[in-house]
Amino acid sequence: MTGTVDDLVGLLDTAGLTGRGGAAFSTAVKVRAAHDHGAHLLVNACDGEVGAVKDAHVVAHHLDELVRGAVLVTGGRRQRSVRFAAHRGSDTALALHRAGLDVLDVPDRYVSSEETALISLAGGGLARPMTKRRPFVTGGRDQAGRRVPATVVLNAETVWRVAQVAERGPAWFRSFGTAAEPGPRLVALTGAVDRPGVLDTEAGVPLADLLDAARPAHGWEHAVVGGLGGVLLTADEARGLHWTGADLARFGGSVGPGVVDVLDPARCPLGTVTSFLLYAAGETAGQCGPCMFGVPSVAEAWRRLVETPSRQGVDEVRAAAGLLPGRGACRFPDGVGRFAASALRVLEPHLAAHASGTCPTRRSTHRVPHR
Amino acid sequence: MSPTADARTRPELRVDRIACTGHGICATLLEGRVRLDPQGYPVVDEPRVPRDVGDLAVRMCPARALYWSDRP
Repeated sequence: MTGTVDDLVGLLDTAGLTGRGGAAFSTAVKVRAAHDHGAHLLVNACDGEVGAVKDAHVVAHHLDELVRGAVLVTGGRRQRSVRFAAHRGSDTALALHRAGLDVLDVPDRYVSSEETALISLAGGGLARPMTKRRPFVTGGRDQAGRRVPATVVLNAETVWRVAQVAERGPAWFRSFGTAAEPGPRLVALTGAVDRPGVLDTEAGVPLADLLDAARPAHGWEHAVVGGLGGVLLTADEARGLHWTGADLARFGGSVGPGVVDVLDPARCPLGTVTSFLLYAAGETAGQCGPCMFGVPSVAEAWRRLVETPSRQGVDEVRAAAGLLPGRGACRFPDGVGRFAASALRVLEPHLAAHASGTCPTRRSTHRVPHR
Repeated sequence: MSPTADARTRPELRVDRIACTGHGICATLLEGRVRLDPQGYPVVDEPRVPRDVGDLAVRMCPARALYWSDRP
């Protein structure tokens, strides 16, 4: 387990490990840059996405390997600190504290676990995103112009995988997954399922197999893949695809942070989407104009559309959602825009039914009483 | 340098979204490339703007929110 950072970067590069937090960036490149700049390490165990539980799973079941991975990334150098970020008061934070680790307690808000928000919090600032004029792994400045020390943020699953790659080798790692997306990876199944939980699986498996393992509610119709930053899919679409970036990209999605949320079939999906978007509207950090006004206006346009379905209402949601991508310090507005666009696409038939005065959900639950 | 190579390597004009307070001067100076959304915040349709007018916009921004970047 000893060796230089060069050795580690070589192993990670050969293994093809990418970030498991959602951005899927090369871990070898990040670890190399972190070493070159003497960057501090923040291990993100916040499970920041809606429905995400896999960071908690890593801390609960693989803490030793997680810590070994963190030591490997920093080369065991004392001057490069390691902190573990978790939501304040969560079981994960408690477990990390109990293990005697240096814990960064993070407020339980959606954007507070975003990469630059964690860096801000770690530096004594607020847990709000910062503009990334250059990557913070090289160091930088916060909004007030104060110096920010070089810091790298890696997702907890990613750091756990670093230890696995170092200890078991790239060949072992590549025996899982696909050539494009190698390695084992965690996927959380949640929502209207009998067996919610985290599966240690791999890219390329049929999503239907993952869903079957979790036993979704009878008659389920929709699932959200990737939480608030992900996409809504019909049951047929979800069952027909493999867990790969390419398959999910056909619907505008990605494997993201690995969350599959089966929506309750007894509840009108329009209302469920309203809940998602209203939650999003309350989670903007209120820093960037296009986000603090744009995200609530998408939620409001959606609420109006559900109240009175119309072609014009659809156009209004689409226009508001279309203004979000690429216009925030972080990617939160991009994610909400993507989610809203997918909801429009998938729920078009449902909206049409509402326009003619019937809700398909209520009709089917009337015909088939819910057990 | 050929025009194509220049277009590929030239840095882009970016908005620091936290610093931006929606004065809208960039949309006036860079008409056709930058427009304002319903709340008055810039939408950058064409970030590869000519250096001179881009520099002017950077200098004139009251919030100092515009900057050049060659990051992907």
